[in-house]
Amino acid sequence: MARITCAALTKSYGAVLAVDALDLSIGHGEFMVLLGPSGCGKTTTLNMIAGLEEISAGRLLFDETEVTWTPPHKREVAMVFQSYALYPNKTVRENIAFPLRLRGQSAPEIDRAVGAAAEQLEITHLLGRRPNELSGGQRQRVALGRAIVRKPSVFLMDEPLSNLDATLRLSMRGLIKRLHQELKATFVYVTHDQAEAMTLADRIAVMKGGLIQQLDTPEGIYERPANIFVAGFLGSPPINLVEGVIAGGAFTRGDFRLALTNPPEEGREVVLGLRPEDVSAGGDVAARVELVSPLGSETHLDVLAEGGVPLTLRVPKEWRAAPGDGLSFGIDPARLHIFDKASETRL
Amino acid sequence: MKKPLAPRVTRAILLTLFSALFVLYVAGPVAWLVSSSLQSEAEITRVPPNWLPQNPSIANFEAIFSAADRVVTYENRRQGEALTSTFLPSGAANLLPAMRNSLVIGLWVAALNLLLSVTAAYAIAVIDFRGRRATLYTVLATRVVPDIALVVPLFLVIRNLGLINSLGALVVTYLAITVPFTIFILISYFEGIPRDLYRAARIDGCGHGRALWHVYLPLSLPALVASLTFAFLTSWNEFVFALVLTQNVAAQTLPIIISGFIMDFTTSFSFVNAAGVIAIIPPVLMAVVFQRYIVSGLTAGAVKG
Repeated sequence: MARITCAALTKSYGAVLAVDALDLSIGHGEFMVLLGPSGCGKTTTLNMIAGLEEISAGRLLFDETEVTWTPPHKREVAMVFQSYALYPNKTVRENIAFPLRLRGQSAPEIDRAVGAAAEQLEITHLLGRRPNELSGGQRQRVALGRAIVRKPSVFLMDEPLSNLDATLRLSMRGLIKRLHQELKATFVYVTHDQAEAMTLADRIAVMKGGLIQQLDTPEGIYERPANIFVAGFLGSPPINLVEGVIAGGAFTRGDFRLALTNPPEEGREVVLGLRPEDVSAGGDVAARVELVSPLGSETHLDVLAEGGVPLTLRVPKEWRAAPGDGLSFGIDPARLHIFDKASETRL
Repeated sequence: MKKPLAPRVTRAILLTLFSALFVLYVAGPVAWLVSSSLQSEAEITRVPPNWLPQNPSIANFEAIFSAADRVVTYENRRQGEALTSTFLPSGAANLLPAMRNSLVIGLWVAALNLLLSVTAAYAIAVIDFRGRRATLYTVLATRVVPDIALVVPLFLVIRNLGLINSLGALVVTYLAITVPFTIFILISYFEGIPRDLYRAARIDGCGHGRALWHVYLPLSLPALVASLTFAFLTSWNEFVFALVLTQNVAAQTLPIIISGFIMDFTTSFSFVNAAGVIAIIPPVLMAVVFQRYIVSGLTAGAVKG
């Protein structure tokens, strides 16, 4: 296990700042997910931790040892790539054995380690094949095998499931979680998929523009988003965001009015955040149903609330509605999120 | 729906015709070279020529391999008869030593060219350093200058190095010709290898040397074979630099010696053609040995595609 400390870690490409003085401490055995859209700097951060990108400024420490300028092959990290990155000229066995061979381990040791890793990942029957004879899921298992065989203290994963189909992604997600529990190593996992982040992470760092927008547990990120970007990035369907003003201790936009438990000062321009699922049947908010999207286990309703405010609601499948129907629902004021309109931060 | 028969037949006929013409164009001179090397001088000069030897004979080849045993002097040079293939050009005894010179130079150039180019191409294609593009363009710029313009400067350099009339002179010169091209070929190839493989290799424990050895070289076999062949053939065939930089038989190469036969008192075409056949054997062998390495799709399955 290892603790990773990023102190004002910066990466710039000429005038472009990809990662901007990032401070992040990842604990022993923690599963940290870097989450964000393309170009937010999450992969660059991972590559700096791996040693694959030169650090422009700042320091990187593994435990108490500074590794800022240590080349990747001396950092003792393992990495799994989105593209699998298997050596096409080697068999599965040779791919998995390769890191051990480079470390000069004996043939019996290598055989034992490769066998154990293959068994753990259920790929023993594939050991004699070459990568082009494997399916996507099998290739990713081999890539995981090559990573775990070394028993490193730090695992880095760069969107490892992005190229897999939905079903496979689900089972591989479970496999990665199980590996983390068994290996008790420090994992840093990059993804743009909020479901992966929520299910795998001990903590999530949501990134945008080379900066961490929020660092918290999955629950904390979802329940208490620090700003509009974080609120909008997590949740499916996405959170409803409505611009308005504080008047009489309530959020107001035309005829649309919601009482708040802790309202900001009067007259302040704000953005209201309402998660689609944070509604209950039979309240005092009136709306007209515009679109019904049944998903089997639940239903998504696009409605037009009072004052012409468009909202998306995620409701139980038992809610029967058709386009054009009137609908009334309740909103718990404690579940509302209020952001400052100018700074976009949580109030 | 199946295509109508007539266009398909026309297409097949045209394809066959053009393929046959192309084969004739490429292989015709080689076929004549081989055929005439098995004929006597009288047979070769006959009009119309015999495309296939009437009485195939290896007398020309025997003459080449026994040339060292016969000393050709001013007095005895006319004893042989060109029309019956017994004529031996003066300098015939130099043919096999020249071939050995060509072979030695070709192998050195092929090996050193690969060694220098592989490391340079890896550095330029893979390692991100300041001035990387400028280095590449500088290397390429050296090849914009025609070889003939370099003859005099190179002669002066080689002479000042004290290498005139040595095999080393030609090795150094041919490397100057082949290395920039090979670097360019290999850079394109290395850049085509998925970057994630390099990253994976570095993470797995490879420094640059091991990444080159374990990942880039095995995946670049076709390009390496092409480079090797290119360097060997360039040095095997080169004439102008060899003519200028080597003035005695100890260092002269096959093209220089063979061309000397044509400028002799009498030209024996059968002998020259037999020498030509011997001259094409090493390149042909090289092509046969290496052709199985020139396969595509070696990187299939490396990364998601």
